[in-house]
Amino acid sequence: MTETMTKLQDIFRDFFDDEDIVLTDETTADDIDGWDSLTHVQLIVAVEKAFSVKFSTVEVMKLKNVGEFAALIEKKTA
Amino acid sequence: MSEIKPIDRVYEKVTAKDAPIDYLMGQELTLLLKLSNRIKKYKAKNDIHGTFRLAVLGSYSIQHFVSMLDAFLMGLGIDTEIYEGEYDGIRMDVLDDDSAFYAFKPDMVLLMMDHRDIKVYPQVLQDEKSVDELVSQVMSGFDTIWSRIKKCAPGCQILQTNMVLPPLRPLGNLEAGVAYSDMEFLRRINSRLATAHPDGVTIVDMEYLASYFGKKGWFDYSSYFLTKAGYSPDALPLVCASFARLIASARGKVYKCLVMDLDNTLWGGVVGDDGYDGIELDPHNAVGEAYRHFQRYIKALKDRGVILAVCSKNNEDTAKEPFEKNPDMILKLSDISCFVANWEDKAQNIKNIATMLNIGVDSLVFVDDNPAEREIVKNYLPQVYVVDLPEDPAYYAMALEESNAFSWIEITEEDIKRSGTYAANEQRKELMESFVDYDEYLKALDMSASVGSPEGAQMKRFAQLINKSNQFNLRTIRYSEEQLLAMKDDGIHRLIYVDLNDKFSSYGIISCIVLEKRGDDCFIDTWLMSCRVLKRGVENLALDTVVTTAKEMGCSRLIGEYIPTAKNKMVENFYPSLGFGSLGDGKFELMLEEYSKKEYFIQIVK
Repeated sequence: MTETMTKLQDIFRDFFDDEDIVLTDETTADDIDGWDSLTHVQLIVAVEKAFSVKFSTVEVMKLKNVGEFAALIEKKTA
Repeated sequence: MSEIKPIDRVYEKVTAKDAPIDYLMGQELTLLLKLSNRIKKYKAKNDIHGTFRLAVLGSYSIQHFVSMLDAFLMGLGIDTEIYEGEYDGIRMDVLDDDSAFYAFKPDMVLLMMDHRDIKVYPQVLQDEKSVDELVSQVMSGFDTIWSRIKKCAPGCQILQTNMVLPPLRPLGNLEAGVAYSDMEFLRRINSRLATAHPDGVTIVDMEYLASYFGKKGWFDYSSYFLTKAGYSPDALPLVCASFARLIASARGKVYKCLVMDLDNTLWGGVVGDDGYDGIELDPHNAVGEAYRHFQRYIKALKDRGVILAVCSKNNEDTAKEPFEKNPDMILKLSDISCFVANWEDKAQNIKNIATMLNIGVDSLVFVDDNPAEREIVKNYLPQVYVVDLPEDPAYYAMALEESNAFSWIEITEEDIKRSGTYAANEQRKELMESFVDYDEYLKALDMSASVGSPEGAQMKRFAQLINKSNQFNLRTIRYSEEQLLAMKDDGIHRLIYVDLNDKFSSYGIISCIVLEKRGDDCFIDTWLMSCRVLKRGVENLALDTVVTTAKEMGCSRLIGEYIPTAKNKMVENFYPSLGFGSLGDGKFELMLEEYSKKEYFIQIVK
């Protein structure tokens, strides 16, 4: 697991209040209890804070899975 | 050893029904979101269903509002069963008589709407008259929804949000200067909502909440487009707190009295050291003006019916001096219904204040600049709402405002008279001391009463008493105004009010009785009285009326019942004291034939 993915997993575990969450590139909102459109926005804010990055509405809309999310973060922090 | 996370502590307090609104407001948003999820799971897992049936319908996404509100209500001990409407499904639920919403049989419905619900806006340069016609059209849309709910869900209380004015102004500054602008149009809708809503509908001021929160943050457009949430998730706790307080008020959890410390709370400095003319209240000094600003806000609370009490560590004479002699004081002695200044501990004094005013300790709000005193009251009297005043007196009024403690569902004439009534109590006590015989005293009070079935505006007060009274209340059954209106005409029930005056004050309606015909028996469904008129003979007068009414209903026997609660021990022996015989199990009977008229010194007027 990449460093970004590990950090992301920690954020997810804290955010969704579930220590059993294991992220893969293919993880989507359907796999995680409580991940809906509104928590999605909150999650984005949490991730923005943790990585000191900013996402636009278009970028948020385009994300298909956690793998793409991690890739976007890596692109922004590179 | 696993560490206890903050979320665990908050979760525990909420499920123990011991998490006041201000406690939850002190938590972070992400924690509250997690908490809402946990509460949802907790209710599902343990199959918990509440008795209070609340429907929430919205034209924007409401699911997070609903689950957070549920957590706030649970923290207050209100067991709620929630119906959550579909996204943008208000009309679908309301206009279909067979909808799941009506099948749910709601006690209360929240209608969450916003400016996006209004489809037609005025054209640029449209004249004022036709703008107002457009406003009327919007209002008739509201009327359709409200009257349908009243018809299909009788007794359901309606909480309707008003319109939040969005921050986008196509006309720029001109929006404020013409009738045809979107802003002015929405403003006119809000002002019509304020004055033209029928009984049973409460308008919730979302426009205030949004302004207070800050419009720019409230309308987070990215999150609206992504989530259809109506307002930013950051505003969720504020919105939930406001609704929770209103719902609690509607359910009878009402704060009625403000208990105030004096030194460094109402004025700067210590009156015992600085003297009545040395304390800081100078209108030409910033600090003095800060205290006067706080007093002005408190005076406005008094004028709307909040009872004021003083609780101060001082000699009584010294403490009263500023009220009597300092011309810069805004509050006067006549504004204070109960004045306690001594050197005893404040928790005990606050308890005594509640006893003297005949109200519950849980209807008191306490303000004191001293954190140590606040801590003692919080620990010994957790039912009291203790407002944490900031260090700077300039922000005292805002802190009290933000506590949102006095957010009542309505204000009646009686509320406003009441604060005066309590002050008149003092004069009455003096009169009593001049009589040796209690009957002579009662005669000298020149009491008169009117008795009847509540009509028009009286119904509002009748419903308010039914939902507020805790102590002198035999069964503590709550009914909404809508339910009472329905019962009044159903041929089975009879509603009786008693309205009392004496030479000192006019009390308005102080006793409510609901009778129900059960064959030959007349069952006393509700009997309550305001504790302000204890030992005046009102019970005797009321029983006379009950007996007469029961006979009119064709009954031969009265059945009364006492259902004990944490607060109504004072009426445990009420029925036996009126000559009822016990049937066991808290039930009592009185044969109408055997009844002989009671004695009282109240003249009945038409």
